Amino acid sequence: MEDNQEEVLEIFTQDGVLITTAPATYIHYLNNVGTLLIVEYPNSNLTRCIEWKPLDLTIDSDVQDQEWTVVSTVERRRTYSGSLPVDVNRSKHLKINMNDIKSFRVSHKNQKLTFRDGKGDNVCSFIFQHGNCDGLIAVLKGILKTIVSRRDKHVYCILDDIKNPERQQLDKSFAELNLFQEQSSAYVWKFVKNFPNRPYEATMEAFSKITDIVYRGPEHRLMDSEVHNILHRSLEAIENNTTTHSHDEYELIAHVPRLPALKEYPRGRPLSFEQWKALQDSEGQVEDVEAVKLVIFRGGISSNVRKEVWKYLLDYYRWKCSHAEQQNLIKQRNEEYFIMKLQWRSMTKIQEDNFTDYRERKSLIEKDVNRTDRTLDYFAGDNNPNLQVLYDILMTYAMYNFDLGYVQGMSDLLSPILYLMNNEVEAFWCFVGFMNKVSSNFDMDQAGMKEQLQHLHTLTAFYDPEFANYLYKHDSANMFFCFRWLLVWFKRELSQQDVMRLWEVLWTDLPCQNFHLLICVAILDTEKNILMENNYGFTEILKHINDLSGNIDISTVISKAEGMYNQIVDAEHLTDAVRLIIGLPILGNTSIVDSKEASPDISDLTTNGDTDEVSYENALTHSFL
Amino acid sequence: MSAGPYNYSYIFKYIIIGDMGVGKSCLLHQFTEKKFMSDCPHTIGVEFGTRIIEVAGQKIKLQIWDTAGQERFRAVTRSYYRGAAGALMVYDITRRSTYNHLSSWLTDTRNLTNPSTVIFLIGNKCDLEGQRDVTYEEAKQFADENGLMFVEASAKTGQNVEEAFLETARKIYQSIQDGRLDLNAAESGVQHKPSQPGRNTLSSDQQFNKDNCAC
Ligand SMILES: Nc1nc2c(ncn2[C@@H]2O[C@H](COP(=O)(O)OP(=O)(O)OP(=O)(O)O)[C@@H](O)[C@H]2O)c(=O)[nH]1
Ligand SMILES: [Mg+2]
Repeated sequence: MEDNQEEVLEIFTQDGVLITTAPATYIHYLNNVGTLLIVEYPNSNLTRCIEWKPLDLTIDSDVQDQEWTVVSTVERRRTYSGSLPVDVNRSKHLKINMNDIKSFRVSHKNQKLTFRDGKGDNVCSFIFQHGNCDGLIAVLKGILKTIVSRRDKHVYCILDDIKNPERQQLDKSFAELNLFQEQSSAYVWKFVKNFPNRPYEATMEAFSKITDIVYRGPEHRLMDSEVHNILHRSLEAIENNTTTHSHDEYELIAHVPRLPALKEYPRGRPLSFEQWKALQDSEGQVEDVEAVKLVIFRGGISSNVRKEVWKYLLDYYRWKCSHAEQQNLIKQRNEEYFIMKLQWRSMTKIQEDNFTDYRERKSLIEKDVNRTDRTLDYFAGDNNPNLQVLYDILMTYAMYNFDLGYVQGMSDLLSPILYLMNNEVEAFWCFVGFMNKVSSNFDMDQAGMKEQLQHLHTLTAFYDPEFANYLYKHDSANMFFCFRWLLVWFKRELSQQDVMRLWEVLWTDLPCQNFHLLICVAILDTEKNILMENNYGFTEILKHINDLSGNIDISTVISKAEGMYNQIVDAEHLTDAVRLIIGLPILGNTSIVDSKEASPDISDLTTNGDTDEVSYENALTHSFL
Repeated sequence: MSAGPYNYSYIFKYIIIGDMGVGKSCLLHQFTEKKFMSDCPHTIGVEFGTRIIEVAGQKIKLQIWDTAGQERFRAVTRSYYRGAAGALMVYDITRRSTYNHLSSWLTDTRNLTNPSTVIFLIGNKCDLEGQRDVTYEEAKQFADENGLMFVEASAKTGQNVEEAFLETARKIYQSIQDGRLDLNAAESGVQHKPSQPGRNTLSSDQQFNKDNCAC
């Protein structure tokens, strides 16, 4: 738009508005705070736009830190109306033509507003950090014809422009039809308008209204015959339409996807010493690795062979190596370890003084070693030599992988390994193997954690849309309450014995990749009734999940997660988004990025919460890129 | 509306922030359990503590959010500031770097809480006088310049720990009395009467209106 010469009418302005979803062109603005405006360009055919400008066009460069920012404070300002000369910076504004917006949804206690296009996709969302968006909604209602969606009272559907003369005519003709509590003509209009594109949704909504009239509406309502005819014809059209040419689509949408029933998968016996020996040939090579893994997945490993088998699971030993080759490898690894250890051990005082990064790393490790599992006998007491070993391994790991260094949580992952190995070099290499599996948990930018939280949400939404929706409505769709679970693989929630059992099961990568996410889904499924019945909000959910620590029966959980896995893979409506997470080949007939995949609930314009939130999360991810 | 058997009339949300290892969790334990837990594990995400205190004859439940200090996890911990009525910002008097980072913690606090949030600066580990790396005077000046309350404390000996938590509560209570803290505002961090399930401190506004008449 060549708005530079144009007059601009700012109908509404509000500061302190965080933008969390935006069209691709404006991705650089995501998660910034700025001013939201509703603007009218009187010279260009009364075009109205939603605009948003950053607080300061030279945005804080500290993007990484902004990534998950939920709220931020800026000075309050709110103005209604006023004609202004065009701001030269206007071209930098995020600008969305109002005509492209077909609905908007209010959420998060009226602090979040999401605009959607005709397809029901989110165009942009804003979080009002000061107060709420009530003022804006009042303004929007004034300039647009809106009706509240029946399915979701937080959704306002926008009807054609109020100033459209044709509309006014029709409005009049429907006016007498006082069937609906609010804006009846608008309602019928919406129905007629939506029908060609969304026959199923439109019909369902219409039917639900009509049921109201028929069964609950008293006879005293006089139906204007003309209107009656229109309604009648529309309904007829619906019937024809759905039964004939879009039959398939109708079926597809009308089918409320259900998961197959949850079956029981009893746990098995742990891999025994005898079994393990039987699975090795005389040279010590393990022929059928999958068979070993399957036994471990079913029942874990007996404590008398655990130490040896972990070395294989954590890629310290090779499955297909003879004893001789193995010995060679061990020798090499041993030397390698001590070379690396010597590197930091030989650091002189002056070198250290001149090496801030190193000193900080060292002090971090010192601090954490002193508070790692001190309640366990193995690490208890002052001057416990095992603490020194823990320290040495973490320091050496920091030399081994200098880019990653030391991040909190690593000492938790090392502790059970060291306890079991009770040998510095072996524990180190096993720790390396574990870290190779989970290093993305410790990314500088936390991208790995974010991705997992997002995947967890997608799985939850697929498995239990109702619960996902509940979480969304209670500010918890970001799944932050599972952060600790994921970061250290339930280390803080389980006893030492249980955590070892869970880890060895997860290291088999059976029955699928990311099975740890299904463990989360299984625990959440057990807790969801408590959360929902008590109507827990953000704080209570977080607290409740935190407090589960020490109260999780891991065998039951693993077995339930396996059952859920089977329900999911057998589901007819299994989506590519879910397939991707659990490592199944994608079918490609549905778009992976389509956030609706996350939920089988595709109802009317409302889009349920989780969809919204997935795009929110996507937006967060994009903002980071 | 039945108030239920609650023996307190307000909930204040506190958040404890500061670099890793400065002693945030130890301060919390000292305050809630009167114990020094010298080897409690580092915090992942957030942990909670509560204690009921009394200010001006009113029982107040403090809901304390103890956050992880490592820089990398700030992205997550930032989501926990919302709606805090009090923020305890902690550094370690024996480690200058933790003091140097205060300005960034302060920026976060100011950005992520509301203007009436009471910010209290704590110089922890003051029992380790011999290893002192930050003087009382400079920290005091920093606090004054930024309008923060300030004490040096020790989670180990318990010195000044009660004071910091209680003083913060008094200040918040005062703000309510003065009307500076608008309980009706979303995210004031204060709830009148305990949480109805599903209503966390973030939504205290609607709840408050109802509860108001009950007392
Ligand atoms: N001497 C002394 N040591 C303390 C004091 N407070 C804490 N510590 C020690 O400092 C270390 C860190 O304390 P924490 O309370 O775990 O630190 P934190 O700030 O919670 O750290 P993160 O959870 O990693 O962010 C522990 O090993 C404590 O023993 C204190 O007042 N005096
Ligand atoms: Mg802590």
